[in-house]
Amino acid sequence: MFSGKQTKPTFKSYLPPLQTDLKKSPQLPIKKLEAKLLPGEIVVNEANFVRKCIGADSGQDDLWGKLVCTNFKVSFISHNSLPQQRFQCTHRLLGEHDIPLACVEQVVTVNDVKGKQKILGSNQKLKFNPTELILYCKDFRIIRFRFDEAGPESAKKVCLAIAHYSHPADPQLLFGFEYVGKRYHGSAGERVNGVDPGGGLQTPLFDCSSDWDREIKRTGASEWRVCTINQGYFISPSLPEFFVVPVSLADQDLKQYACCFYSQRIPLWCWNHPSGSALVRMSNISDPQQQRKVEQRISSAITKSHPLRSDVFKSDLDKNLPNIQDIQAALLKLRQICVIESFEESEEKWLSSLESSRWMEYVRTFLRHAVEVVYMLESRHVSVILLEKEDRDLSCVISSLVQLMCDPHCRSLHGFQALIQKEWVMAGHRFLDRCNHLKKSDKEESPLFLLFLDCVWQLWNQYPAAFEFTEVYLTVLGDSMWVPVFSTFLFNCPRQRAEHSRDFASSKSIHLGQDQALRFPPVWDWSQQFSLKDQTLFNNPLYVGKIATCLQNGTVKTFTHRRSKKNYSSTVRGLPSLMRNGSLGPNDTLTRRNSLVLRLRSDLSQVREQPETPSERFVRDFFSRAVDLQGLLLPQLLPSHLSVWKLYFLRWVPEAQIPHGGPVTAFHKLSVLTDEIEMLQNQLRQYKGAAGTANTSHAEHSKMYFKATSTPQQCPAPPEYLSSSFPFSPVGNLCRPGILGTPLSKFLNGAKIWLSTETLANETI
Amino acid sequence: MTFRRGSGFHLRLLRENSRLNAALESCRKVNAVMASAPIAPYNSSPLGNSSSQNASRESLKMEPLADVTLLPGEERVIDKDIIYICPYNAAVKGKVFITNYRLYFKNTDSETPVTLNIPLGVISRVEKMGGASSRGENSYGLEITCKDMRNLRFALKQEGHSRRDIFEIIFKYAFPLSHGMQLFAFLSQEKYEENGWNVYEALEEYRRQGLPNNEWRVTFINKNYELCDTYPTILVVPYKATEDDLRKVATFRSRCRIPVMSWFHKENHAVITRCSQPLVGMSGKRNKDDERYLDLIREANGTTKLTIYDARPNVNAVANKATGGGYEGDDAYQNAELVFLDIHNIHVMRESLKKLKDIVYPNVEESHWLSSLESTHWLEHIKLVLSGAIQVADKVSSGSSVMVHCSDGWDRTAQLTSLSMLMLDSYYRTLRGFQVLMEKEWISFGHKFASRIGHGDKNHADQDRSPIFLQFIDCVWQMTKQFPTAFEFNERLLVVILDHLYSCRFGTFLYNCESVRDSNNVRTKTVSLWSYINSDTSLYINPFYTAESSRVLYPVASMRHLELWVTYYIRWNPRIQHQQQSPVEQRYKELLALRDQYLKKLEELQLSDSAPSSTHLTNSSTPNAATPNQHITHLQTPF
Repeated sequence: MFSGKQTKPTFKSYLPPLQTDLKKSPQLPIKKLEAKLLPGEIVVNEANFVRKCIGADSGQDDLWGKLVCTNFKVSFISHNSLPQQRFQCTHRLLGEHDIPLACVEQVVTVNDVKGKQKILGSNQKLKFNPTELILYCKDFRIIRFRFDEAGPESAKKVCLAIAHYSHPADPQLLFGFEYVGKRYHGSAGERVNGVDPGGGLQTPLFDCSSDWDREIKRTGASEWRVCTINQGYFISPSLPEFFVVPVSLADQDLKQYACCFYSQRIPLWCWNHPSGSALVRMSNISDPQQQRKVEQRISSAITKSHPLRSDVFKSDLDKNLPNIQDIQAALLKLRQICVIESFEESEEKWLSSLESSRWMEYVRTFLRHAVEVVYMLESRHVSVILLEKEDRDLSCVISSLVQLMCDPHCRSLHGFQALIQKEWVMAGHRFLDRCNHLKKSDKEESPLFLLFLDCVWQLWNQYPAAFEFTEVYLTVLGDSMWVPVFSTFLFNCPRQRAEHSRDFASSKSIHLGQDQALRFPPVWDWSQQFSLKDQTLFNNPLYVGKIATCLQNGTVKTFTHRRSKKNYSSTVRGLPSLMRNGSLGPNDTLTRRNSLVLRLRSDLSQVREQPETPSERFVRDFFSRAVDLQGLLLPQLLPSHLSVWKLYFLRWVPEAQIPHGGPVTAFHKLSVLTDEIEMLQNQLRQYKGAAGTANTSHAEHSKMYFKATSTPQQCPAPPEYLSSSFPFSPVGNLCRPGILGTPLSKFLNGAKIWLSTETLANETI
Repeated sequence: MTFRRGSGFHLRLLRENSRLNAALESCRKVNAVMASAPIAPYNSSPLGNSSSQNASRESLKMEPLADVTLLPGEERVIDKDIIYICPYNAAVKGKVFITNYRLYFKNTDSETPVTLNIPLGVISRVEKMGGASSRGENSYGLEITCKDMRNLRFALKQEGHSRRDIFEIIFKYAFPLSHGMQLFAFLSQEKYEENGWNVYEALEEYRRQGLPNNEWRVTFINKNYELCDTYPTILVVPYKATEDDLRKVATFRSRCRIPVMSWFHKENHAVITRCSQPLVGMSGKRNKDDERYLDLIREANGTTKLTIYDARPNVNAVANKATGGGYEGDDAYQNAELVFLDIHNIHVMRESLKKLKDIVYPNVEESHWLSSLESTHWLEHIKLVLSGAIQVADKVSSGSSVMVHCSDGWDRTAQLTSLSMLMLDSYYRTLRGFQVLMEKEWISFGHKFASRIGHGDKNHADQDRSPIFLQFIDCVWQMTKQFPTAFEFNERLLVVILDHLYSCRFGTFLYNCESVRDSNNVRTKTVSLWSYINSDTSLYINPFYTAESSRVLYPVASMRHLELWVTYYIRWNPRIQHQQQSPVEQRYKELLALRDQYLKKLEELQLSDSAPSSTHLTNSSTPNAATPNQHITHLQTPF
């Protein structure tokens, strides 16, 4: 249907014409081709005269260079450069062609002469000399190297090295340890790699009780307290050292209850709604005999902490949400249709394939469940317990989504980072296992965090002015999972981080001093990865922040959002009688808002066969009012109103790139305007500051990536390099493998999902 | 009026009678809102309050309709107590008012207003539902099917044939042509400052393109519609083709729609020509004049092979031979290359839209949304039309002339030529240029609006009806989504155009071709939609627009990017937020105003600084200087 001829013009100009001398000689001066190494990084193996494939079809744009495997990355160094891509952010830890080993999903070697191919794991043998190496990456890239001119032995060795080092046998072999460990040697300087763990960051890490105290104050949760019984992780292995509990529960009681819970996880306080309702997460109670008693004690303690003594609603996540394997399977199918299958062949069935991947369905399910919980907190004024067997996966997604919808603070950059720190890192989401950094157990791998980011993106997409950050930020945050140096994504829980740190330190004779753990930088220290200039790509020019200016009737007005207690207290007066054990009362009515729906329905006959549920009514009521971007935000959940997160999932697909187009072109205009306004503000301020405060140049402080020109009023033309993939580029990042003209898909006939190891192994000779 | 405050909403009226004027103005405000942002069947906006503000208007004929002031020329016909059966909630008791232009419903049972305001032209079908003996509540009434993706149901009391009169009146006024009456556009007395009929002047438009020149000439051979009755009077043809040649070619082209030039590439002189299919027939007839004429087109800029884009699927083109049509064979046209674009015919598109309506109205099909959407094939058709237009644009920008036709050259051909021009020529992406494009490629070249829409005609099952123009607007919308800064107009314009495609309030989309429009004096007896649009352009301007003169826009015609236009197709659903304007657009406009205010302030400050009288900054306690300073402190961290 979409013949080659037809597609041509649609993406014809994505590559500016190359200055190609077609037959580039592979004989290059190889002396200078040295990999740039980070502290603690060592070269393991390398091969010269390797060709990196750039275009899908012809080899004419391919680059010649050296392929290097280190203990951190697969690096390709070349004298040739890609066609100018000024926009590409320079990653401070990775070169243009580098892939962190942790990002490599599968290492496939091919010998196209013999028609053989094999997926390489750790410590495997390879019986043929590879002519081609294909790296399937976790971030959906497919990178391809050819060894036509490289020595067969060195090609084989480098492939085996890559395979081996991308399957580390032990967490301490993850590069972060060497990298961070290095700073403790040599100079006694505190910031060897420029890392300043935690300090200087505005994002609270929730690894100390003061961060929790501030959060309690911020949310007005006066009936809750910080509990320190898990200091040293003596009570629960997977809980943080500090967490928050109802004031009515004494440490002694908690210690007693702890043993009843799965992994001794005492219920954790997440957040308080301004009405006083709390959001709590809890694991299953393992001892059935104690179940009722403990449950009752916990519930009544939570009730006591509620200003209205409202009852508690339990939301069973395991029952209502897909499990982690379902979610992993969905992502694999999504990856299959996004990047593996031939673009044209999958066009016709794109929508139904998308549906059968179930990814969008899961995104919707999680969002909908979060909305249900929001309804309970917002409209029913009851506290909610999120119940999950281990309380370490689904609860992370739901609790953070609920807060994102209710609490505008979580939509600021630091608020969002704090949220992830609180609900994911400290609550013990198994990042190490779910990312499968050790490639040990595929059953444990699951993209829950990515699913969460997609849910956030859906909200962002529906209310772009409500978030301080951009979708580039969300994408880059997702990618950072595969750069294994950040405390955020390396461990299953804080305790594991401490233990491995201790072990590693003693094996390397490192003195940790006052520290509990090695000072892994959190991902929130963005200057680890990007320059200040590139970090401005995270700033959303649309954001209507806490103090934002808006224009009403021609005058500039400043409005500050206040979460006034008064508001809430006036609305809770008419609350229905308490709901026992979370069951909804029969005469459930919405008292909070003057629901017009209610009045309409009261005296008229029913048209719909199924009566609207109270939460549906709550949602409908929300949509009938104007949205306050600094207030409650509910997503539109109709499937027709959820979209594919194209920047994340399709950024590498050359055929899907819109040259000079995409939402970024509007973003560019907005940024320029915002920048101009900042500039004008500065100028106005200078009039005020009379004596002339240090006249720092505007450019240094601008928060916008795209700057206004010196002659404002005239918007600069959008840069040539803008495309729907910005700031990423498909060039050289998605080489769907073809072996001597044979698409690999044919080769792998029957492999329905993402090159499952079994399927491939069967075909391997 | 409380619909909308703000200065941008004023319509500049011709000052004739000041008292009448005031009434008219408020009336237009209302109608502008009604038409451009049609009110959902279930509406929560405080429509009702407006009546209090206009309580003094006794002069109006319809007191109960006080909040919906009539258009000039609009007259009340009947009103009746009725129950509106809203598909989303419940039955709503109220009153329905029928005028010669609209159906207006307002509830009476609650303070919260529920209103409907529907131009009768939107109605495609009226049916009686239930009988006098029907059991069950609200089972006796009317069912109205609309052309804009919704249905309405009303219930009446069963006693005394209560629905007979209302049914007959709606039937009569919704389908005036079937009852020997005039379309409302001919009764309307609206007046606007600008005459929208002057937006498009063929000669002026060709001059803009750089025509005539020594390759192409203007001919008046069709001055009296003698050559071709569905073509405009002014045509552009190869310089070397004589009038006699044109007549001979006309005998070989379906309905005499000969190949004529429609767009000219200023740099490489490649052209887009359009026509109907050749009359090849079963026997494979040839026509030397036609062959030579196509060669003249090819030679005009030295194109080696003229590319003929036949919009149809190959099989359809072959099948057309049976009815005397066909396509240009290889033997006969050796200097031409024929490409089939696989776009399906009007019947397929009609069925596709019908299926789409099934899954979005009244409720969105939730359980298998994506596969249901796929099975309507609506987006797939959009994709084929767009990718066809991309091929045309690509060919032309690479320097080759092209010829586009389908069967008669008034449906798919219009889609392809207008879309490819939109890609090639940035002028058509301006608010005015877009009007010109529609006037030219669609209206003047005889897209059969009357047949495709069925204006004022009761035969709802007419096989000639098809959403071809809607599909074109959808394609334009897809392009605006992919290139948010490339179009001067916004989504609202597209919606308003579609609303008035059906409303019959303006003459713009009436009748099948120019000759019929002439004989009905449309230009003198009706108001053009562009008069209305251009009376307040600020509503339709895309603030993100960046003028770029030379860029060819190639959208990506892939299912990955094509989206269902939910703000049009699913706009009646109350579960969806109805926004007058996209929040991003809104915010951008706010920021623009903020910038202007800062600039003004800065200017004032600089002026007072440089003024000789101004002493020193110590004197800044003067109110003039202090005011902005106070503001600044508030504005410290807006972003």
